[in-house]
Amino acid sequence: MLALAMRSIRQRPGRFTATLLSAFLGATIIMTFNSMHDTAGANGVDATSAETLSTAAGVVGGYGTLLVFFAIASTLTVNVRQRTAEIDLLRSSGATPTQIKRMIVGESVAVALLAALLAIAPAMLGGHALLSLFQDSGQVADSVDYSFGPVALMSGISITLLASAGAAFLAVRRATRRRQPAGKGRKFFTYAALALGGLAACSTFAFSATDPALMAPPAYGAILLAIGFALLSPKLLLAVLDRLPFSGPSGYLAVRNMRQRAAQLSGVLMPLILFTGMATATLYMQAVENDAIDASGVPKSIDAKNLETLNLTVVGIIVVFSCIMLINSLYAATTYRSREFGQQRLAGATPGQVLGMVGVESLVVTATGVFFGTAAGLAGIIPFTVVRTDSLLPDQGLGTWLAIVATATAATFVTSLATARCTLRTPAVGAVTLVA
Amino acid sequence: MLSRTQRPPNTTPTEALRLVKVTKTYGTADSKVTALEDVTLSLPRGTFTAVMGPSGSGKSTLLQCAAGLDAPDTGIVMVDGTEMTGGTEAQLTKFRRTRIGFVFQQYNLLDTLTVAQNTILPLKLARRRVNRKRVEEILTAVGLEGRLGHRPDQLSGGQRQRVAIARALVTEPSVIFADEPTGALDTRSAREVLHLLQEAVRIHDRTVVMVTHDPVAASYADAVLFLADGRLVGEMRRPTADAVAERLAHLGDDVPAGV
Repeated sequence: MLALAMRSIRQRPGRFTATLLSAFLGATIIMTFNSMHDTAGANGVDATSAETLSTAAGVVGGYGTLLVFFAIASTLTVNVRQRTAEIDLLRSSGATPTQIKRMIVGESVAVALLAALLAIAPAMLGGHALLSLFQDSGQVADSVDYSFGPVALMSGISITLLASAGAAFLAVRRATRRRQPAGKGRKFFTYAALALGGLAACSTFAFSATDPALMAPPAYGAILLAIGFALLSPKLLLAVLDRLPFSGPSGYLAVRNMRQRAAQLSGVLMPLILFTGMATATLYMQAVENDAIDASGVPKSIDAKNLETLNLTVVGIIVVFSCIMLINSLYAATTYRSREFGQQRLAGATPGQVLGMVGVESLVVTATGVFFGTAAGLAGIIPFTVVRTDSLLPDQGLGTWLAIVATATAATFVTSLATARCTLRTPAVGAVTLVA
Repeated sequence: MLSRTQRPPNTTPTEALRLVKVTKTYGTADSKVTALEDVTLSLPRGTFTAVMGPSGSGKSTLLQCAAGLDAPDTGIVMVDGTEMTGGTEAQLTKFRRTRIGFVFQQYNLLDTLTVAQNTILPLKLARRRVNRKRVEEILTAVGLEGRLGHRPDQLSGGQRQRVAIARALVTEPSVIFADEPTGALDTRSAREVLHLLQEAVRIHDRTVVMVTHDPVAASYADAVLFLADGRLVGEMRRPTADAVAERLAHLGDDVPAGV
């Protein structure tokens, strides 16, 4: 079965691009931040430098890792679901569920390993750049040498592999079991994520206002809540779908499609909610932090400005990563629907009506994602702001949030519609006979 | 400028489908494959015609060109007296909506819609009024009463194909094109589907064009057209399975003949 897995990767490298890309980016981010641990642990690093580096690795590296884990997992879930036809074929040719599981998990591990190895070089460059940012801002002594060691390597490879293998295992288990109601596992995960997220966000109150790790608990909280919401949202979506005022053929199809595929939508909602939640939480918390530093009375030195730039860079990396993941999974999910689009066209839908349907779906997905993402983000921002400044909400205004929403909306619409347009170029008859 | 929209006044309303010198080639200059060559045919309304020929004889291309799913290189396709002119996919789709119905080997039902929703989908897409009673009548006629709320993956192959037939009937098209409609079915389901296609002609007064490999399936038609190497090479009226099989076996010997 493992041989079959390798052959299937070699024969069709294209379909692994999405998984490879997400695992590669994820591994790069994990290794970049975790190499700060290695750098801090090297001989002859002074205590202050070591602390700065460890805090950066621990805080950003920590929640970045969690984010990467779920981003990889959600891409992989979409990928495995798209292969139901192949899995059915294998099963009907006599493969046992265990063999299929071994094949899919084997493939995922192979792709993840390749991605992690490819990520080493960029992560080293990124780590170098990150260290020089720290050194430029004066937080780390110039004498500290960059080192890429066992912590970066082990954490990068193991987390990427674990996320891929775990997600593949869960996804293939779902695929090889015939029609079973949503498992108890999913329910457990949903409530566990929500409970832990809430707990993490609340634990912010246990920190003091100047604690360097103050940003960690609300950020973890926001990510976990975002994941919980992503798992929960299809159910809530079902409840409102019938009340949506969509008329016309495109709306008719979109609403009926989404009602049936609501459970699968969480694969796309996950990155969208994560992006909105993470971007909102981290950008606002950083802004609050910067203002608090300004307000502390210390005149804004060049160092402080550097620090601001550095923090925003770090936060920016996380935000850009989640945006790429959003585009990646939307692209994968839409490409997969070319057969469905073909069937609709054969039943008399014009290309415009198919695009209209995709548009309506994007609208609903965006609205849901932005709503829950903002909720998750607020759950992180509010405790942080309360502890840091004693006011409830940041006084930065809605500008940043609007920019985030605009980015999420643009990414969702442009990716979905452009991908759908591409798949519509295949003649309808060709599209329905393509082997999945 | 010639007015292309003007229709000749003597277009017979009893003619459902007409192909005039339709030619279609695939591939580039050095590896050209002629799928259809100078095919001319005319099918009266209310007939059931099977198109047969060996693999690669151009059967599917003929169906796709006649049904507006593919544009012929040269030649004219007329459905119900109206010429199908090349245009955007949206224009062709709108042309097909009122005139053409499809039944495919792989059913092509939407998994997310129920039996009833799949059946009325073409009406919804065309923004036409849905006559519930009529839809239920059609679904009952194809033997699907009591399954209106099922989804395609809860149905057998034969049942799915019956949904596809109901969907093709509901828009009351001039021509129903069936592409190997029994190709994925067991003998019994196949027989039921063929009977339904016959009824579409006899009872609902539709015109059915069916592409098939199977001489038994072809024997349900009123006439069989034989296709070889992209040309029409013969016709058989009141076909029997044995006669069709016999003729197929000797297709190469036939002298090309127009219909």
